[in-house]
Order: sequence, then structure tokens, then C-alpha cells
Amino acid sequence: MTGEYRMDGLAVPESLDQLHDLLETVREQFPDVDETALMMFETAVIEIHGNVIRHGRPKGKVAYEFRLAVHGDRLEAHLTTDDEAVPDLSHLPGREPSDPLAESGRGLWLADAMLDELQYSRSGHHNIWTMVKLLGSEAAGG
Amino acid sequence: MDMDTRELADGVGLVTLAGRLNMVSAPALKAAIDELIGAGRPRVVVDLSGVSFMDSSGLGALVAGLKRARQAQGDLRIAGANEQVLTVLRLTNLDRVLRPRDTVEEAGRDW
Repeated sequence: MTGEYRMDGLAVPESLDQLHDLLETVREQFPDVDETALMMFETAVIEIHGNVIRHGRPKGKVAYEFRLAVHGDRLEAHLTTDDEAVPDLSHLPGREPSDPLAESGRGLWLADAMLDELQYSRSGHHNIWTMVKLLGSEAAGG
Repeated sequence: MDMDTRELADGVGLVTLAGRLNMVSAPALKAAIDELIGAGRPRVVVDLSGVSFMDSSGLGALVAGLKRARQAQGDLRIAGANEQVLTVLRLTNLDRVLRPRDTVEEAGRDW
């Protein structure tokens, strides 16, 4: 069983709560999806979206479209932004900030660590993030 | 996010949070910790039992508070973290320096 969700708007701090609400809807409509997997997926989605809010340009005016699909074997999201800025991927893949007590710079790294797949691509003026979290064999309900 | 600060014991401040600790709310937490330390309470306990979700910005505020507390010869401890917060701490290896305690009572003793 699958479910598809979509939302769009401007990448501003208030949109973080809307994404949380969307993921809460997924949680309610697919109660059999593994909670740990969904929690890790939600953390990654919020980190990537937070990166767009913080670094996207022009700041506060970056339009986004978020699509999420629940499949029997995975959660998959695509975040597409109309963004003049290209993200700094220097913390990917798999590298933490060099200072263990750094106060920032962990967002993309953390998102990558939470997911089974994180891909970024640039197409025209758009940044496209693909996020995948694999589910166990018991996660096909909903 | 809701936040409350008070004195837990002599020289020990308590910050109690509820809601989501993210890029929106992290600056307020950082300011609250700074205020406690500035007021002579360099030992700070942050009660996370009401926090449903924490992102890297929230984590950054805790790390900033820890460094500030240590500079003032104190420390910062966290209590009551849920599974999401613990996962963020573990994956970033910051559970080694922000060693989570189960309860505020446990965090507030034996400095």
C-alpha cells in the first residue's frame, strides 16, 4: 500500500512546522510504518529543509515543493527549490565537522546519517534533494 | 517551544523546554543558558523531557551552552531526552560529552 503527499510554499522557518504536521499525518495514516525509520526520515527532512531556509537565496523568497511517497519498502521524498544558491556539500559524504564541539555545520551530515540514500542535483535554477529511508518487511501497512 | 528557567540548587540553573527545539527556538535556549551562567549559575541542567524533536540547530545551542558553562568553570547536563534526541546525540557522537541523564534529579547531583 502506498500514499503520496505534497506541499509547497516559501522556505521560511514557519514551514518547518508544516512539514512536521505532514509527517505526523503520515504517522497517523500509516501506523505500521516503523517508528524509528519514520523518526530518522523526519529528522533528515527537517535538516534538509532547514538548510534551504538558512542558505537558500534570495533568503525568505525561495519557493519549494515537497513530495513524499510511502511505499511498502521505503519512504521517499523529493524537495525541489527555486534557489539561486548552490548548497555547500563539503560535509558530505559521511564527514563530521572537524571540531567535535562545533556549534554548527552538522545539518547535512546528520541528514545523510539518518537516511539510506541522500542525493542532490542541480537542474536549471532548481536544487533537487532526494531522500530515501528503507523500511523493514513489516512496514507495508497503512 | 515553551521554555522556563529557574534555580535548581545553589549555583545550579534549570532550563525546562517543551515542544520542538529547532532553528526557530535554538537562539532562545542559547540566550537562556547565557543568562543563567551570567547570573552566577555555571552549572546548568536542561530538561528535555518535554522536547518532541531536536534538529542540529538545537544541538548547536546545547553545545554552545556546554562550552560557555565550562568556560565559567561549570558544566551543562541534559535530562529526559526522548529517542529522537538520543539518536541525534548518538549519531553525532555528542552523547559522549552531553551525557544524557534520565531525570533532572539525577542530572542535578554530584557535580
